[in-house]
Amino acid sequence: MDHRGEGNAEGAEPLTQAGTLSRRTMVAGTVAATAMAAVLPLAKSAYAQAPDPNTDMLAFLVLSESLTGVDRLTLAPELLGSNPSVDPINIKDTYFEWITEHSAPSTFRKLLQISNDNSASPGNIIAKVKGSDDETKFLARSIVLLWYLGSWYKPDDLKANAVPGRRQLVASQVVPDNRGKAYTQGLVWLIAGAHPMGYSNLQFGYWSRDPHDPNGPPLPLFNPSNT
Amino acid sequence: MVDSCITCDVAIVGSGFAGSFIAKELSQNGVKVVILEAGPGVQPNFNAFMEAFYKTSRKVPESPYPPAVRDSNDQFIDPVNVAAGRPSSQTTGASNWQKPEQAYLDQRGSTLPFKSTYERLAGGTSHWMGLTPRLVPNDFLMKTTFGNGQRDFPFPDWPIKYEDLATHIVAHKPPYYERAEAELGVAADVDEQHFANLSFSPNYKYPMPRIPPSLFDQRIGQALSDLSDVDTSFLGMGKPVTALRVRSLPAARNSEPYRNRRACAGNTNCIPICPIQAKYDPTITLNEALNAGAKLKHHHVASEILLENGRVSGINYITYDQEDGRPDGEVRPRRTGNGCLKAKIYVIAANGIETPRLLLMSKNKGQTPNGVANSSDMVGRHLMDHPQYLAWGLLPKPVFPYRGPLVTSAIGDLCDGPFRSQRAAFRISLGNEGWNSLVGGNAQFGSDPNVTTLDFINGMNSSGLNKKDFSQLADNSTLFGADLARTLGSLISRQFRIAFPIEQSPDPNNRVTLSPLLDGLGLPRPQIAYNISEYTRQGFVAAVRMRKVIFKKLGAIDFTEVNITDPSLLKIPIDGENELLTYGGAGHVMGTYRMGIDPKTSVVDSWQRSHDHPNLYLVGSGTFPTVGTANPTLTLSALALRTAEDIVRNLPSQKS
Repeated sequence: MDHRGEGNAEGAEPLTQAGTLSRRTMVAGTVAATAMAAVLPLAKSAYAQAPDPNTDMLAFLVLSESLTGVDRLTLAPELLGSNPSVDPINIKDTYFEWITEHSAPSTFRKLLQISNDNSASPGNIIAKVKGSDDETKFLARSIVLLWYLGSWYKPDDLKANAVPGRRQLVASQVVPDNRGKAYTQGLVWLIAGAHPMGYSNLQFGYWSRDPHDPNGPPLPLFNPSNT
Repeated sequence: MVDSCITCDVAIVGSGFAGSFIAKELSQNGVKVVILEAGPGVQPNFNAFMEAFYKTSRKVPESPYPPAVRDSNDQFIDPVNVAAGRPSSQTTGASNWQKPEQAYLDQRGSTLPFKSTYERLAGGTSHWMGLTPRLVPNDFLMKTTFGNGQRDFPFPDWPIKYEDLATHIVAHKPPYYERAEAELGVAADVDEQHFANLSFSPNYKYPMPRIPPSLFDQRIGQALSDLSDVDTSFLGMGKPVTALRVRSLPAARNSEPYRNRRACAGNTNCIPICPIQAKYDPTITLNEALNAGAKLKHHHVASEILLENGRVSGINYITYDQEDGRPDGEVRPRRTGNGCLKAKIYVIAANGIETPRLLLMSKNKGQTPNGVANSSDMVGRHLMDHPQYLAWGLLPKPVFPYRGPLVTSAIGDLCDGPFRSQRAAFRISLGNEGWNSLVGGNAQFGSDPNVTTLDFINGMNSSGLNKKDFSQLADNSTLFGADLARTLGSLISRQFRIAFPIEQSPDPNNRVTLSPLLDGLGLPRPQIAYNISEYTRQGFVAAVRMRKVIFKKLGAIDFTEVNITDPSLLKIPIDGENELLTYGGAGHVMGTYRMGIDPKTSVVDSWQRSHDHPNLYLVGSGTFPTVGTANPTLTLSALALRTAEDIVRNLPSQKS
């Protein structure tokens, strides 16, 4: 009943499914081997290179789960339990690629390293990010906004407007792709018990009931253990 | 004029509600119909529109539809370079409402902004809310019921009564309102629609059961079930108001599968676009007209109505391609030709601004210097909208907005009463989209939930919510993780808004004329003069007072905020203080070629037939002499059905 899973019919992209499947198989294998906790430490020489989704995706998901407060199984539905399913929307790859292309590789690496160093403790990850240099901190904020809204707010724009209580329109851009799927995957809607406006997979009349209604679809709640 | 013209029985300009309704009625009666549509034709599906909507960071009413308002560098496209332009919600603000190099409507000489927008494409009104209440009986009888001999009372009576549309059976067919409700597919419960003297045929049932109320509808219904007569005496209802009933609004929205369309899935996106077409749009009727033989000529812009011996003898048009810029990089649209259309009867169904524009620009080489159908000088005058006063706040407990249709219920009972001799009426529409288009005052910092989300991630406070009082955290918090999710979930789920659409009085100086500025085809653009009368302002006063009663009853924190740079800013004395407020457009463009009995003071008769030219009909909400507070679509659709019957009746005596 995951919201994103129900979106398959609209979000499927047949041309890329083969690639998605192979990546899923890879990630699933990694899950089995590492139980999400012991991701291999990055080689020092890798710092100069752009982060690589093939080796850094788990660190990215652990980082994202901690910073967003949203369960990793909502971020990456393909990691469901011991029987991985298919995630044809696969927004995490879109975001990973976008961040790689729109931030300094060393800054993104720094966040991934924080994730690797503290993967057992979301609280530690948050504390480390908050205590980091501005580049790292504002990239982290951009990443959370990306997951929440499907839109990219440039770290520099966030820094320029990070004045307590400021009221200001800050430019943003829906992460472009061929169907505009980033907008439809925004998490803040689900957190508020709703759905992205213009993208509902719910049934007639649901709005008359509390979203926590046991007869209604469940909220994709964040992981309370993150607190 | 070219030598060979397209010929048909009935020529229609415009394929929106009125044009499509008439085209279907006529073509199913074997009448040969050709429709000129200024914009693109019927799309095979909504995919391109949905993609455009998902991708844009400005999810405004026009966002899914062509032509583009901005170029690839995000700069406004000068309407002088657009073939069939239209007003945009992005050009009604302080920075550009009087900048015609950005705004299609030339409002340089206007006192206040006309804020409503419309589309020009097959099907016309695509970005409508889908609400279909009827006008109430007194809306047709303003002068008789409320004029009380007041010499300057601005409201005329309509030449027809509510009963002519609601209960009279003509030629063994159901009344026009009922037939329109069947065509639009209206969901409502007739038992809860008996207010303000609305009456229905015996045993009438709407085509579908009502749309169920949202959690907010239910909450406000409870809150207003017990009111103090003292608190509500300002309403002037002529009787004590000790409770207000929240009623489901009739809506052209499927509550069950209807005519091969699905039931509403609550996408909360009626404006700008329903992704599953559970909300009716005029392409549905248009396609049935086309299946019955009507011809749609898209990218055909009517440029002149031709007269011969007091009758319309043809319509000239210009054709173009590429409404969104040209592949060869030229900015100006490419004219691909021109032509003419000849018929026995002509119907102009181009909306309340484009119809008077076409009439006024039809000068027949100087023989009709004031335009066609304009011996009364009333064409273009009495432009009206339902200016909307919006209020929003935070509830003590969640109602989970951003769910369900944008509006499911309303309070209609205050739309009629003795007060109408003194001040404008209003209804109260209850929103299900939180602070989406309002946050911070006219969404000046962006739309929600984006703005509130950014606030709590970046320590800002555009929404006003990032304060200790509301978040139970520090002022201007910057949050990550579960704190962030929990705080946003708690605040966003408690947002609500209400709107007061207000009856606007007819004013001959609120007017559509021709601008000296041109569009991309060389045709003069519409020029607007617009103001809000004292009578209408007194409706705002009552709305402000009502807002205070409602917020108090809800226990809500008021976040209503006035953007003082907004050009619609009104300063109105209320209880000895100057209240600042702004209004929005309802998208209801009305009154500009009004119907009436007297050819000196009206443009068309009750059949929407020109007083001046017997084979010319002007349809749509431009014919409304007064506008009440109901959304106009149902009524203009019912009137279109009535007109179609008149055309069938008159066609045999007309020669081409």
